[in-house]
Amino acid sequence: MTALAILVALAPLSGSAAGLAGARARVAGVAQAAGAAVAFGCSLALLVLLDGRPPLAGWDGFLYVDPLGGFFAMTVAGVTLLAALGSIGYVAAQEDDGELSGFQVRLYFAFFGFFASLMLAALETGNLGLLFVLIEASTLASAALVGLEGQARSLEAAWKYIIISSLGVTIALAGTLFLFYSASALHLGSNLGLTWPYLLVRAHALAPQSLRLAFLLAVVGYGTKVGLAPMHTWLPDAHAEAPSPASAMLSAALLNTGMYAIIRFLAIANRGLGSTYPRAVLLSFGFASIVIGALFMVRRGNFKRLFAYSSVEHMGIIAVALGFGGVLGLYGALLQTLNHALAKAVLFLSSGDVSLRYRTREAGQVSGLLAAVPLTGGALLLATFAVLGSPPFGLFLSELTIVRAGFAGGSPVFPLLLLALLGLAFVAFARTTTGMITGSPPTQLASPYRSRSAVAATAAPLILGLMVLLVLGLWIPAGLDAVLRHSIEEIG
Amino acid sequence: MQSLSQTSTAGVLLDLSGVLILLLAFACLASKLFNRYVAYYGAQSVVLSFAAATAAVAFHSVELWILAALTLAVKGIAIPLAARRLLVTRLALKRDAAMSTGLSTSLIAGGALTAFAYLVTRPVLLPHGTAAAAAVPLSTAVILLGALSMVVRRHTVAQLIGWLIVENGVFLGAITLVATFPFIVEAGIFLDIVAGVLIMVVFVSGLTRQLAEASAGELRELRG
Repeated sequence: MTALAILVALAPLSGSAAGLAGARARVAGVAQAAGAAVAFGCSLALLVLLDGRPPLAGWDGFLYVDPLGGFFAMTVAGVTLLAALGSIGYVAAQEDDGELSGFQVRLYFAFFGFFASLMLAALETGNLGLLFVLIEASTLASAALVGLEGQARSLEAAWKYIIISSLGVTIALAGTLFLFYSASALHLGSNLGLTWPYLLVRAHALAPQSLRLAFLLAVVGYGTKVGLAPMHTWLPDAHAEAPSPASAMLSAALLNTGMYAIIRFLAIANRGLGSTYPRAVLLSFGFASIVIGALFMVRRGNFKRLFAYSSVEHMGIIAVALGFGGVLGLYGALLQTLNHALAKAVLFLSSGDVSLRYRTREAGQVSGLLAAVPLTGGALLLATFAVLGSPPFGLFLSELTIVRAGFAGGSPVFPLLLLALLGLAFVAFARTTTGMITGSPPTQLASPYRSRSAVAATAAPLILGLMVLLVLGLWIPAGLDAVLRHSIEEIG
Repeated sequence: MQSLSQTSTAGVLLDLSGVLILLLAFACLASKLFNRYVAYYGAQSVVLSFAAATAAVAFHSVELWILAALTLAVKGIAIPLAARRLLVTRLALKRDAAMSTGLSTSLIAGGALTAFAYLVTRPVLLPHGTAAAAAVPLSTAVILLGALSMVVRRHTVAQLIGWLIVENGVFLGAITLVATFPFIVEAGIFLDIVAGVLIMVVFVSGLTRQLAEASAGELRELRG
């Protein structure tokens, strides 16, 4: 099992190796996709093996995989697979066009592999200090992806991203420090004082004052990476300026990784402090994010910014669900991370195809997508409905669970507010995307792809992602259900 | 781990280093010259490495000695040198004009933040009479001052230095509060800082070049 866990984290480096060896976009993309597929398969196998057994632990707690970590690793590896498939067509088309030089293509795959591998490693460690190190390193790798195009706009977005996120994660380090300090009365060895399972078991004995501070600093710090308002300001710029498959990675993998870190701190805070304080913190940041996300979606403009603000909104929903707590709230929150990741990966990957064909990222200049490019248009339409929480897709089910958790929690004010904000977000988002999908297409649209295989590689992740979303809306496989329940027992 | 008392030699030295680190953060906030930013940051890191060495003597800890040496080499020497060579000299940066508030306003805000740091951390968290009770408010103040200089300065180099000052503040807290993180974590944090500075230097150079080209383009258009 240890070998499997290591393989999950290392397999995505295949793309980096191909990139550093100087492969062209098509070859490096295929290598990246193969590595991601291996990682995804191994993460599935790991989850199956973990069922009904104690978590995998080793190396003084530096390696620790429980159902929660395994579940997030599966999501991230799955998104990496989709984004790697999307990269084949997207980056090859940009290379053929001369938009990206050979050097930039090699950099893209080098950092793409590092980025995925660092996130997966972060999900497999039980040491909260190492978690910080790996998440900060993944910030650096992804900042290079954001600034890849080297234009003034993308460099500015990358700068904003790296400086805000680094500051945020440093605040999370201060939170980690106070958590470590809160355990100093326990006389754990210096490694164990940062090892999550040890701290969880001894949560009652942690000094409550510094634990409160630690939790707040961790939510603010890692919340910066998650894009919780008011720390979200880097997010729309970075998502808009990154190459589309990299945007999919940011939105569907990186944000989840940050949320995972918050969940680790939440579990300790819940046991050590009771649920009142964490609930207040998470509900405040969560609702602030939903409001900000929904309001900024009203403005029409760059469609990648629209999707980015939708991510802010969805991360807010997940934070609110974690705040509601209880079995329903946590179940809904975890399911929502998976569903949102799939829907957002499909949205950003289809936006990549759109921006290649229409040569713009402005929603106002795109029309008639369904007539011009039926597959991408259809995917965008279905993913729009999915991300907005319409049945029969997975997000309907998870959002329904979250609202039910809110009503079960007592006061009906919060779930009603949540429903109202979801309605606002629905109108704001659909208003823009329906304008892109319907209408008459422009007369000349050249295909940006030179080969049939590139077209197929672009279509595959869209179809794959939507199919899984549809399945998750109709039926939750027993294995997934068991994984979610085991995770909740741990956090609860 | 036993905690240092405030009156022991090591405790006094640690607190003194904390005060010096805070003063250097203020000096950076009050300065307008790019090479001063770098110099103050370097001096702050040297003091920080002295603080780590003091704690190493007091706790007989090898890890803290390594930390002190790493701090001196990486933050005290390598990063300031690289920042001066690659940024200040190469990009011919002199006076920082891109500030959103005046110097006096930002200093007053810094003073208020320092008082705030004392108010929040001092009474509740820490046992009285320990070295940490004096040093943790200082380190919180350094974190806030670093963040403040990132906010009031719009130039990328100034923001980079601000982030490094925040990082120093966290380390000061770590040394006095818990002596040290596990070594692997410590080493990882150093690697992150070095990689972060390298990537940021690339971005800063790229941005400065883009801006320079843009202004040169304007000049050409105005001619003739």
